[in-house]
Amino acid sequence: MKTNDVILQTGTKVVFFIIFLFSIHIFFAGHFAPGGGFVGGLLTTAAIVLLLLAFDLKTVQKALPFNFMIVVAIGLLLALGTAAGSIIFNVPFFTHAFGDFYLPLFGESALHTAMIFDAGVYLVVVGSTITMIQTIGGDS
Amino acid sequence: MAFQILLNFFIALVWMFLSSSLTVTSFVVGYLIGFILLLMMRRFFTVKLYTRRLWAAIKLTLLFIKELIMSNLSVLFLVIRPKLAIQPRIFALPTDLKHDWEITLLSSLITLTPGTVVMYVSDDQKVLYVHAIDAGDVEEAVHSIKNTFEKAIREVSRP
Repeated sequence: MKTNDVILQTGTKVVFFIIFLFSIHIFFAGHFAPGGGFVGGLLTTAAIVLLLLAFDLKTVQKALPFNFMIVVAIGLLLALGTAAGSIIFNVPFFTHAFGDFYLPLFGESALHTAMIFDAGVYLVVVGSTITMIQTIGGDS
Repeated sequence: MAFQILLNFFIALVWMFLSSSLTVTSFVVGYLIGFILLLMMRRFFTVKLYTRRLWAAIKLTLLFIKELIMSNLSVLFLVIRPKLAIQPRIFALPTDLKHDWEITLLSSLITLTPGTVVMYVSDDQKVLYVHAIDAGDVEEAVHSIKNTFEKAIREVSRP
């Protein structure tokens, strides 16, 4: 019995972008406001899960052709690399560097290596949760 | 229509770069100038100017707000009545709308106005099945939905 999911699918096509945008905003707001890598990753996962609910597993795998295990590995490498980078400068492990830089589009902005670490956390969260959901949903 | 809006944005961007001030104010000024230019050149477009559809969309929003308030009040009167004299029923609503987003918009509008809930869209997308809490006269309910929401949506999509 195949039902007509036109309302769910059309709604998803609009809402997906809003959730994804909000997850990016939450990820970048992590330093001075509530948010960060973990919540941003979970929100991105929620957007992809909405796609999985509205469409099916094969369609989403075709649309996002990533191996999410590798995404987890990249995230761990980013986090570890950020932590290990401090060894080169002869400071303790996990020491973060930060400073004010002038960027061409954003103007005066403070950059911090904790954000790269956060990006690693983000990728690990997205990769692991999507891997779980895809493996559970894949057994039919 | 989308092309006209894009052109208007492009003119506003060009105006920003000409006046070499990348601010919101200069963008708004450029947008207004672009709109006047589009108004002058409207004979060269194959479709009508986009303001008509914009106005139709605004009218649809206002209609939705009005209907939401009115129907909430009517459901309130149903609830506080001591005797529950309602006639729930499910009726088929034939629709002429074609696109997915039109069907979705119509279903959302019908569902958000209390008293009616869209339960199912038929596979060929020509019939919506609507559950009404108090539809004494099905013909009249179909007629009212068709005359308000569907007409407004059709004005937005095909002016």
